[in-house]
Amino acid sequence: MKKPEPEVFGAHSRRTFLKSLGTVAVTAAASRAQSVAAELEKVNGEQTVGPGPVPVTLNVNGKPLKLQLEPRVTLLDALRNYSSLTGAKEGCDRAACGACTVLLDNLPIYACQKLAIEAQGHEITTVEGLAKNGRLTKVQEAFVAKDATMCGYCTPGFVMSLTALLQKNPQPSADEVRHACAGNLCRCGTQPRVLEAALQAAGVAAARTTHTEVMDYA
Amino acid sequence: MKAFEYATARSLDSAPQLATDNGHYFAGGNDLLGRMKDYITDAKILVNIKSLPGLDQIESGRDHWTLGALVTIAQIENHPGIKKVFPGLHEAAAEVGSQQIRNVATLGGNLAQHSRCWYYRHRDIVCLKKGGDTCYARHGDNRYHSLFTGNTCISPVVSNLGTALAALDATAIVRRSGKEARLSMSELYHRAWENPLAHNSLDPGDLILKVEIPTARGRSAYLQVSDKHAFDWALVSCAVAAQVSGGRLRRPRVALGCISPVPYQVEAANDFLDGKTLDEATVSKAADLVLANAQPLEFNGYKVPLAHALIRRALLKLKG
Repeated sequence: MKKPEPEVFGAHSRRTFLKSLGTVAVTAAASRAQSVAAELEKVNGEQTVGPGPVPVTLNVNGKPLKLQLEPRVTLLDALRNYSSLTGAKEGCDRAACGACTVLLDNLPIYACQKLAIEAQGHEITTVEGLAKNGRLTKVQEAFVAKDATMCGYCTPGFVMSLTALLQKNPQPSADEVRHACAGNLCRCGTQPRVLEAALQAAGVAAARTTHTEVMDYA
Repeated sequence: MKAFEYATARSLDSAPQLATDNGHYFAGGNDLLGRMKDYITDAKILVNIKSLPGLDQIESGRDHWTLGALVTIAQIENHPGIKKVFPGLHEAAAEVGSQQIRNVATLGGNLAQHSRCWYYRHRDIVCLKKGGDTCYARHGDNRYHSLFTGNTCISPVVSNLGTALAALDATAIVRRSGKEARLSMSELYHRAWENPLAHNSLDPGDLILKVEIPTARGRSAYLQVSDKHAFDWALVSCAVAAQVSGGRLRRPRVALGCISPVPYQVEAANDFLDGKTLDEATVSKAADLVLANAQPLEFNGYKVPLAHALIRRALLKLKG
């Protein structure tokens, strides 16, 4: 088990409490399973599971995450409330705001509108999985350099959308950045700096935008 | 969201069996999970259909292309062949949601999605579409609602792809009671025209397998106008398709979205356009014919000139 989290309410944090519950059950389940593959096969068979908790193994940031989840638990809920990965944020919980954006097999998706049980067998990357050996990625560095956050709640989502964009298209135009970010909302209004950060990360000359210009109107 | 059971279907025969007892097919899940979170739809079991074999392919052909129902909107948007052969379908796909949605949303789900009417989507309102006795939009805030309907419910169909595929005269192949049924886009939505409870003509257990798109109409276009510049449903959308030879339209089709419970088509307009060359007067007359029977309500009258402009612009795009 990981170290307890800093935000402790009474004896347990919400997450460590939930996590310890899950761990007990999963350890028991995992000892029965021959391997991750066998476990997956079992979960993916045609038999009906749920509505109670079932073993779910997620591949998050290159590591297996073994949980005990009801089928209704979303990927976002699994990450945030059944493990300690709170980088993906919950905003609308309706696939509308983009705060929960993670990569599924390198494609940006809304973790709030994906069932965790269905995300098994896929490579999931959260914002926690980007920096390697304590070194931020170019996108993350550019967000710092351009001060592209205000309250910061939407930032992980933007970072994931832009990470996916630059993987696919290393030198995007300003319009392509806007298209890639259309599914991420920032209520503080820092989109112009997000655009600047994206272009800096890509090594593309900064667009002629001002900080008061709203991205979509350019 | 209420708790539910979950199963992954491996064959076309087992999928409807697994879903028999208040089950719902589950692929991209964007529409379904949204409804379940708002307690509009409840399900005893979700049947994951993403592992059904052979439904995730885009197959090109001389006479028609076949798109599996599990093909994602992003795959349609990014397919270079579709962009070339069916530009209207490409344009419609590019306007669906955001990239996060397009990466998981499927063709079948886009066609079968439920109404976005805010009375229907309100968890505490039992409107006509949910089995109540009143369409609250009729005398309420109907700014996003239909100009045409065959029943009392005025919530419009919002599927971009349904509109584009109607103009391309595509056929949905639906698994129904163990057999394959072929439905034109008109047939796929007809029930929603006459029955306020219906969002489309699918029966429980029906599964859209694929869509066949004839290549006969070499030119196509799709335009929409939304409140937001991106990531929004259309206020009005318009798809057109035709073969153009010697500057003249052959077998033209115009379809409007978001102004009727079905992709709205008027045969008189299509007939009028057949054999015509594209100029301002012709496309304006065609738009008049499409909108002849519009019945605007208190707050959606703006959709009439909007639709008129979109029909004209989309048709003129066919000039190339």
